[in-house]
Amino acid sequence: MNQTISIRKLPVFLWLVVSIVLLHLDGYAQERQITGKIVSNEDSAPLSGATIQVKMKNKSTSANENGQFSIRANKGDVLIFRMIGFKQQEITIGDGSVVNVRLKADRTDLDEVVIGYAKAPRKDITGSISSITGDDLRQTQPTTFDQALQGKVAGVVVQQVSGQPGGGVSIQIRGVSSISGSNSPLFVIDGVIIPPVNDPGSGSNPLNAINPAEIESIDVLKDASATAIYGSQATNGVVVITTKRGKIGAPSISYDFYTGFQEIPSRLPTVDLQQLATFINARAAVWGFDSRPEFANPQYLGKGTDWQDALFRKAPMTSHTMTIRGGDPRTQYLLSASYFNQDGIALGSDFKRYSVRLNLDNQTTNWLKIGTSLQLAHVDENVAATGNNVISTALNNTPDIAVTNSDGSWGAVTNTSGWVQPSANPVALATIIKDLRKRNQIFGNVYAEIQLAKGLSLRNELSGNFDFNTEDHFSPSYTFGKGTPSQSNGSSEASENFYTVIRNFLTYNHSFRKLKFDALAGHEAQESTFHKVSAGRRNFPSNNVQAIDGGDPTTATNGGDNSLSNPKGGSAQESYFGRINFSWDDKYLLTGNIRNDGSSKFPTNNRWVTTYSGGFAWKIKNEAFLKDIGSINDLKLRLGYGLTNNQGIQDNTFVTQLTSVSNGLSGTAQFQSNLANPNVTWEKTDYYNAGIDGSFFNNRLSFSFDVYDRQTDGLLLKVPLPLYSGTSAGYSPGSMTAPYVNVGKVSNKGFDFQISSTNINAKNFSWKTSVTVSRNVNKVIYLGSGGDQANLSTSFNNDIIQTTVVGQPIGQFYGYVFDGVYATPNDFQTHARPVNSAGTPYPISSSGGGIWYGDRMFKDLNGDGIIDSKDKTFLGSPIPKFQFGVNNTFNYKNFDLNVFFSGSYGNKVFNQLAVSQTDPQNNTSYFTSILNYARLALVNPNGAASDVNNVYVTNPNTTVVGLRNDNTNGNNRPNNLFIEDGSFIRCKNITLGYRVPEDFLSKIHIRSLRVYANVSNAFIITKYKGMDPEVGSWNPLQAGWDGGYYAQPRVFTFGANITLK
Amino acid sequence: MKSINKIIIILLCAAAIAGCKKSFLDRPSNSQISSNNFYKTTSDLRLATASLYAGAQWWRWNKSAMLPIGDVLAGTGSFGYSQDLVQLFTRTITAQNSYVSETWIGLYNIVAQCNTVINAIQQQADPSIPLTDRNAAVAEAKFIRAVAYYHLAVYWGAVPIIEDNSKLIDNPLLNRNIIRDVYKFATKDLTYAAQHLPKTDEKGRLTTWSAQGMLGKVYLTMAGVGKSGGVRDQALLDSAKKYAGNVCKNSGLSLFPSYYDLFKAQNNDSPEALFALQWTAGASYGTGNDLQTWYAPTSEVLPQKNGGWQSLAPTYDLYRMYSAKDTVRRKATIMLNGDYYPELNQAGGGYKATGTGMKKHIIGNEKDNNSPTMGQWSSIEHNAVLRLADVYLVYAEAILGNNSTTSDADALLYFNKVRTRAGVDPVTVITPNLLRVERRVEFAYEGQYWIDLVRYSYYDPTNAVKLLNDQDATHGRIGFSYDPITKIATRDTTALPSALPATLSSFTLPIPASEMTSDPKLAEPPVPYY
Repeated sequence: MNQTISIRKLPVFLWLVVSIVLLHLDGYAQERQITGKIVSNEDSAPLSGATIQVKMKNKSTSANENGQFSIRANKGDVLIFRMIGFKQQEITIGDGSVVNVRLKADRTDLDEVVIGYAKAPRKDITGSISSITGDDLRQTQPTTFDQALQGKVAGVVVQQVSGQPGGGVSIQIRGVSSISGSNSPLFVIDGVIIPPVNDPGSGSNPLNAINPAEIESIDVLKDASATAIYGSQATNGVVVITTKRGKIGAPSISYDFYTGFQEIPSRLPTVDLQQLATFINARAAVWGFDSRPEFANPQYLGKGTDWQDALFRKAPMTSHTMTIRGGDPRTQYLLSASYFNQDGIALGSDFKRYSVRLNLDNQTTNWLKIGTSLQLAHVDENVAATGNNVISTALNNTPDIAVTNSDGSWGAVTNTSGWVQPSANPVALATIIKDLRKRNQIFGNVYAEIQLAKGLSLRNELSGNFDFNTEDHFSPSYTFGKGTPSQSNGSSEASENFYTVIRNFLTYNHSFRKLKFDALAGHEAQESTFHKVSAGRRNFPSNNVQAIDGGDPTTATNGGDNSLSNPKGGSAQESYFGRINFSWDDKYLLTGNIRNDGSSKFPTNNRWVTTYSGGFAWKIKNEAFLKDIGSINDLKLRLGYGLTNNQGIQDNTFVTQLTSVSNGLSGTAQFQSNLANPNVTWEKTDYYNAGIDGSFFNNRLSFSFDVYDRQTDGLLLKVPLPLYSGTSAGYSPGSMTAPYVNVGKVSNKGFDFQISSTNINAKNFSWKTSVTVSRNVNKVIYLGSGGDQANLSTSFNNDIIQTTVVGQPIGQFYGYVFDGVYATPNDFQTHARPVNSAGTPYPISSSGGGIWYGDRMFKDLNGDGIIDSKDKTFLGSPIPKFQFGVNNTFNYKNFDLNVFFSGSYGNKVFNQLAVSQTDPQNNTSYFTSILNYARLALVNPNGAASDVNNVYVTNPNTTVVGLRNDNTNGNNRPNNLFIEDGSFIRCKNITLGYRVPEDFLSKIHIRSLRVYANVSNAFIITKYKGMDPEVGSWNPLQAGWDGGYYAQPRVFTFGANITLK
Repeated sequence: MKSINKIIIILLCAAAIAGCKKSFLDRPSNSQISSNNFYKTTSDLRLATASLYAGAQWWRWNKSAMLPIGDVLAGTGSFGYSQDLVQLFTRTITAQNSYVSETWIGLYNIVAQCNTVINAIQQQADPSIPLTDRNAAVAEAKFIRAVAYYHLAVYWGAVPIIEDNSKLIDNPLLNRNIIRDVYKFATKDLTYAAQHLPKTDEKGRLTTWSAQGMLGKVYLTMAGVGKSGGVRDQALLDSAKKYAGNVCKNSGLSLFPSYYDLFKAQNNDSPEALFALQWTAGASYGTGNDLQTWYAPTSEVLPQKNGGWQSLAPTYDLYRMYSAKDTVRRKATIMLNGDYYPELNQAGGGYKATGTGMKKHIIGNEKDNNSPTMGQWSSIEHNAVLRLADVYLVYAEAILGNNSTTSDADALLYFNKVRTRAGVDPVTVITPNLLRVERRVEFAYEGQYWIDLVRYSYYDPTNAVKLLNDQDATHGRIGFSYDPITKIATRDTTALPSALPATLSSFTLPIPASEMTSDPKLAEPPVPYY
């Protein structure tokens, strides 16, 4: 207080002093009074208590409560500004006497990382850990934080699974190591584990309740030496999310806001009405039926309905976040509240999130510290679009159908021909069907940290994640054209998922001269339970009465109806763990981890397993021979090895489960729902990692490079046995769930590379670039006794299109090789034909049952003169060869510009939609490429059209088959025409920001204000013909399928970050 | 004081670290039972076997095999559209055909459920359950497994035999087993079932008569395997005669009096039904009887007016099998333009047919059947897989055996019982052709005709092939229209053949392409099982 008063009087006093000095010491030196203000770079909060020192002189002062200071110094002196939690800064005194300073928070440097139950200085870690700050993360304006990891962290492959608002992404850290287990990393948010999700299904993502604005930093633990402490859940890596916490200092109140809209990034080339009519007329001429009078004169027809126009919209999104944080040395707090609202680009999809967070830390006594992280979130989602497949339905509807008819009814197929299938009206479905999900989530932890003795402390933690979900579905009665009338039906579902952990551990650290030592030991018990009930009724008296009890009571069904899904259950895990770290002379670091896990998922004889790892790091920079080389700021070599265990299987697979099914004989009966494997055990992964980190030229250039080799043995497969086993790995009524078996071995090798540089660092202008590159090679080494014949296949058109075999990556595409269409008589000589069940090639004939001009030719790869399944080959992998991200940040005065590209190279996508939309026999809608169907012509117009030597194809280079009413050739058998290159470069983000000058703001009681404009998914460069080549999947055996996929929208936003005074 | 606090805390933590109760990691499912602790009483066994009589594992065969293979492939029902069904009708079946793979999956699903029940009862049933009850439960499962293998053998010939699915975990790739052994396996199961099933049981359950009747049918089929020139194995014919005859004479069962009413849901599980699928109302997609939903000629008569997507029309070849007097069976089996069915869509005043279509399995909507939860996926019709009438005709055929005619009194007695029930005149002499026609008419749209043709092809391939080709040659394998005024059926006699010419290989379905890729050993010659 005294100091404050004296500083307030300072100007007068100083003036006196300066005058005296100038009068009497003129010529001795130009020492004068330097004044200024020190603020935080992040939120412009004044940094009271910051120290200012004149370098090489024993002279210093500190800033007052407004961050203001004053000190005497000469021109040419260097002032050093220091504050705990901030990076120190040095400024040389010039001619001016005012020096305003913005100190950068230390955190943004990510000098500390979470290494499992504790933090450690980044410089002392031995494992492979990448980190990004919350600021970096928020650049792309993500709805959920997992979306924003793409391209930001080397070694992490992120693929969007659905562009539905709040929809999930698939995240794989260093490849796919498990086929039926989850490949998702473990998410730990402030110590609360979010259990991995195998398949969030139609767009619901458990991670979407977290507001990206609250994230302080994310650490991605990649290799075994880093993850082993988390044990069996961490085989696929760990993503540790740390939320912002309170900090010592005056309260800071900030408000973040953005609003904008989203639009569909590209459109598929569907035919318009004229094109459709022209095509149908041509086909009818060949078929001899199906000529449609309304299409008689295509030239008089308009464009018809563009179903993509009808379904997709410019959709708004808005976000508001208010945060208050502050604290004194004893208690620090953060309280934030946020609201987020996003409509989907497809009708019938939107997402709203309300959340409140409270983070508290309290140093209760000098030996006890307590605290909590608590989040309450409420999410409202409309998933009618995803639940009703409106996108693929829209693409299937022909342009001759109106969205709404003139009488106000919904348009739909009215053509009564049996071969024209009735189709739903997607706009109607998205509009009239209600499918709302609500989720209430509480998650958080409380802890007590007890200082038992010097260097020895005990931490007790209780954390939990409690999810309460409801889903409300109502489908009114409707009739679409000639489709059969749909009865109204409603259903309601409620579920809860509880997850709790009790964790106690001791930490100890000590130093003996050059040896530093710390250790950790603890116990953890985890329990998760889930419970679900559902009820449904049909036949509601009115479409306005939508409460379940309004339906016909005799049609009531309940959760038991869908008995093959398990509505109640849970699992448990118990673990003991320990870690030691040694450091010698700050040069050699050694880490050892051990953990013993017991899991309820395994039979008693295989229940417990030990995970261990070790890491070594050599801080080369600290060796004498590098110590004095100024251009090298840091250089470190890391080596790690570990054996980790994975338990990614469902509960209770080791016994045969009996489920109740309804039965005409006894009411209910017991159906055996799985084939049990009583010997199932843990999946083991051997993990080697070597890495080097360096930073040069005053930290202007830094990089990190890691190579790794992870080999998973005893791969847990829900092994798809041949069909005669009566089992199925997917949905298949009447089949038992395939058994989980420890077969096979899969290897993932690769590297990840991250480099950042400050290219230009001028007074008013800076340019920074960072690049990440991830390369992973996945290879199946062994697949159990079935050898490379093990049947890990997915079929399309009842033929295998994706398979997993030894020597290839998991889930390779598989099929025939397209070799043009039969176009000349010679083609029938040079190309083998498919065979019937007796092995005889089908005849060359224009009539039914024959192969004819315009049919697709396939390569006879084994040269046996016939086309059969032996002619199939591998057509590429849905797994990218490389994923990369390039981020550029420019600062000019108060402007900042961020441009971020991410991309993927070498992956294939199965363009499933194109198969039907370019098939002339199809009776839904078409892509415009259908118009290039193989056109048959006669050599001699008077000759026979059935004479093989009298016919040819006028457009022999087409890929679209001719207009036959016969498909003996199996034209749509899986082949490379359907498997497209999915490589892309996406401009993920462009943000332009402007920081409003403070002198202006101070008048309106605002401490800092930044406004910005942002475009996400601005553009994409790709050869892929579908809407979006980024097609993620949770099932590695069926990855890369694009069948009317919810594309990621292009998003335009405008926003502001405001900190109040 | 402070140090005491610390000590207390340390002790608390030590207690926590010492670990949880041992049972902490035992987490049996709360919503499912495991087979380890289920089979405690006879009624538990009954619940386990009840699920074998219907449900998801039977759905595929019921929907994709019984009519598409049993009748469409055989030339009884016709299809003009729906690619994979057309393939069956035109004999251009590819290995990608979905009906073929559905049938394969469905039958092996049945086998898997039966195997698991049999093994669980044998290994885990509580010893306090009376042995006869345990054996009877195993016998039910063995009967159903035999039915599945019987159909596998008829459709594909040599197929892999699986008795313990869990062995596939270690050894998934199997060879096909020779056709004779597949039939032999079925007869062994049925013999066991005949010995251990009771003479009577509650409605819908299997009895020893079911097993003996089925045994007669399997022996009759097996008698032709590997034979030619129209001559069958006499010893096997004798076995067929023995078991079928035993059912005819000693079971005390008799035909249901009305052929027409036999197919109404209110007469489900009549004594004539030796094995009928026990479908239930309210079943969800893929677990119930959806025959009428797919194959009805109209959605008008269906629950919620939903369905009729793949209307299954009769061929002229079937129509001409009906003699002038055979009106009851005709009207119960197929609809002709103008036919009136008061029991269908009763609320709408009944249904008057506007074209030709299938009638059998069409039982109307939920109100017609007084079953509110009956829906599009859950018809309550308990369609029979084995009827007493079938056993009667098997008996007659076994007696006829390798003769060209028979006037055997027993053969005539049971043969004529089937005819007189239908209101047609009895015969005095039975010939092989007469028998075939009788079976075709009696069992049309019950999936039997293809079985009959395959059986025929075993011992008289030339004539069996000719029979199929004659359908086209005589312009029979084709739909027709019917004029209700003139009562004349008209078909296009100038049309090109609808199907590819049949050969002997036409009687064997291709193994699904994906299965051939999964198990290349299926391409190898079949091996003996015994």
